[in-house]
Amino acid sequence: MIESDTKVFGFWLYLMTDLILFSVLFAAFVVLHNNTFGAPDARSMFELPEALLETLVLLTSSFTCALAWLATMQRKKKASIAWFTVTFFLGAFFLSIELFEFTHLIHKEITWQKSAFLSSYFTLVGTHGLHILIGLLWMLVTIFQLALRPLLERTAHKIFRIVLFWHFLDLVWIFIFAVVYGMGILI
Amino acid sequence: MNRLYKKAFRSRLIGFCSSLGLTLTTYMVIVYFQSLPFGKEAAVLIILLLAALQFFLQCIFFLDLWKEDGPLWNLCAFLSTLSIVVTIIVFSIWIMHHLDYNMMP
Repeated sequence: MIESDTKVFGFWLYLMTDLILFSVLFAAFVVLHNNTFGAPDARSMFELPEALLETLVLLTSSFTCALAWLATMQRKKKASIAWFTVTFFLGAFFLSIELFEFTHLIHKEITWQKSAFLSSYFTLVGTHGLHILIGLLWMLVTIFQLALRPLLERTAHKIFRIVLFWHFLDLVWIFIFAVVYGMGILI
Repeated sequence: MNRLYKKAFRSRLIGFCSSLGLTLTTYMVIVYFQSLPFGKEAAVLIILLLAALQFFLQCIFFLDLWKEDGPLWNLCAFLSTLSIVVTIIVFSIWIMHHLDYNMMP
């Protein structure tokens, strides 16, 4: 339900520039993913089931975020808060899996200094993780606003932007799963 | 009004279920590519196509990108960005592939 609203359009343009940022990082990863310089390669270091779990968690959170938006549109405050809380916890779960994976790799001395492949991997996935962190903080603020303030037209417009942001992060993750984990492991 | 939300909910549900199916298919292709009747390159191509399909499905069913009322500004910005993204990625791969090839001893 994108409304023809200049504020939404402005935020949409921000998302599009963010898409270009990610595309540059993807290009770097695709080009460099075989330059392992003796450090572990994608095949030996990735846990595919873990990546699948991350994907499913983020996809579900994207869906619950959409449900939160539909509740907001219908001015059902309690349902909206509930769905945003579910989305928040799913997002937090996703981020903790990712951080667990990173610390696990760093403990095994697989760090971003080791090879071009690892630099591009940590930069791409880390940038996405940072976006998720910002999205989670934003969502927390949204939940508090919904709980403490009345749900006005203006509030709904604000909420629409976090919903767009969250869907966008899932869109980027689809390609991280396919390119980093899929292509990285296959070729 | 209520019918509108029902319709929106149905479109979200379709988006979610199809994305779920496509993700699991991608996973199966990655894990069992050895028993598939084609090579690694074809498997990668299939994964990327599945990802692109999921991307567009989510754009349609989650973001309602083709259903704006009024001028299609969001869609225009989206499509022009997409052309930049494709240019960056495809030409990076092309240039670096040839660089590697030409630098071979």
